[in-house]
Amino acid sequence: MRKEKVVLKVNGEEHELLVEPNALLLNVLRDELELTGAKYACGVGQCGGCTVLMNGEAVLSCLVLAVAANGAEIQTVEGLVKPDGTLDPLQEAFLDHSAIQCGFCTPGMVMISKDLLNRNASPSEQEIREHIRGNICRCTGYNSIVRAVKSCKH
Amino acid sequence: MTDTRIIAHEFDFMAPESVSEVLDLLERYGSKAKIMAGGTDLLVLLKMDKIAPEVIINLMKITDLNSIKEEDGLRIGATTRLSRIRDYCSRDRRYAALHDAISVLGKPQVWNMGTMAGNLCNASPAADTAPPLLVYKARVKLLGRSGERTLGLEEFFKGVNRTALSEGELLVEIRTEKIPERTGSAFMKTARVGADISKVTCAVAVQRDGNRCTACRIALGAVAPVPMRAKGAEGLIQGAEVDEGVLEKAGRQVAQEVRPIDDVRSTAEYRRDVAKTLFKDVFSKAWARAAGEQE
Repeated sequence: MRKEKVVLKVNGEEHELLVEPNALLLNVLRDELELTGAKYACGVGQCGGCTVLMNGEAVLSCLVLAVAANGAEIQTVEGLVKPDGTLDPLQEAFLDHSAIQCGFCTPGMVMISKDLLNRNASPSEQEIREHIRGNICRCTGYNSIVRAVKSCKH
Repeated sequence: MTDTRIIAHEFDFMAPESVSEVLDLLERYGSKAKIMAGGTDLLVLLKMDKIAPEVIINLMKITDLNSIKEEDGLRIGATTRLSRIRDYCSRDRRYAALHDAISVLGKPQVWNMGTMAGNLCNASPAADTAPPLLVYKARVKLLGRSGERTLGLEEFFKGVNRTALSEGELLVEIRTEKIPERTGSAFMKTARVGADISKVTCAVAVQRDGNRCTACRIALGAVAPVPMRAKGAEGLIQGAEVDEGVLEKAGRQVAQEVRPIDDVRSTAEYRRDVAKTLFKDVFSKAWARAAGEQE
């Protein structure tokens, strides 16, 4: 199994990496680039914890081969923070509405909500619930998460 | 013991940019190769050690196959993502059943990754896009080194996870027939939670003339080894004045035609009962849409 060269633009910064064909995007982000926001939880596409934006759209990074992402632009939760450390309004909204308990699902929840807000600047409660339905919060903090997203008009 | 954090199996990765290159690779590697589109099913199988290909051929760099257009019916290329198909169908309500189906398939992340061709080629009895395509009279175009052939979707499904694709062949396009005037369609599924695999799915396309049904197609999923049509029930409704009595009779016929099994998600008995009720709900929705009623 020979290593392949891939170029990924992650949070605006270009990285040239040598990866094995069976390497997953999630593990490259976490282990090679030390971006540990996106989480490994179920590993089979059921929980949404690994959600990142790829070319502007939400994907499950635990089910993307890094080689298949060659040339893509990736945004992780770390990329929402401005260079001066200011949080994204969506992150502020999560804090304001206490939309976090253990925090494990939060990066995925924030990124899938970002994906929704990118398409629909003021989604209804129903639209929010439908869009985040594949992201599981084990603390069952869904109501506050929905309130946070709803408060965050783009 | 499997570890879903990684893929332990090793393989070579190819990302050809044309169909012709794919066919060359399929010829060279035969059954040692696996085709990948969105990868949402394939990577799970790899993690679970259910498959062990030597080569993975990624289709997603073939931009020629990333297309959706109306040409006396829909023409959808094999690498067109579900999100693009869903967006298209949300604008063209003739394809409402397909829009319904993708909207409840998996989750938005999966729409952005997966393709309809992949959903069909996995040949799950529960594939959510299959029943709408069956009621739209879909055909699939298969391309191989020995030529091209087109199959009706009913002939394409051969069994659980089995299709009519021969070694070296690639599904390149899905086509539906032109939808006649005054036709409405709908799809619904029952599942434990929204993002789960379906227990029973049903799609209906119906053409009406006042209160008379002039054409009707009914398809169900997860109730037989392959997605199936309920032709007996179609016959009961076609040509009839539609009322509760006719629907009840057709519903009972649907329950008789399905061949469900007991599994981890449901019992056969439950699926049979639900198939009847689900059919009636889906029919009513399609019927209202055929009259152009606003939702």
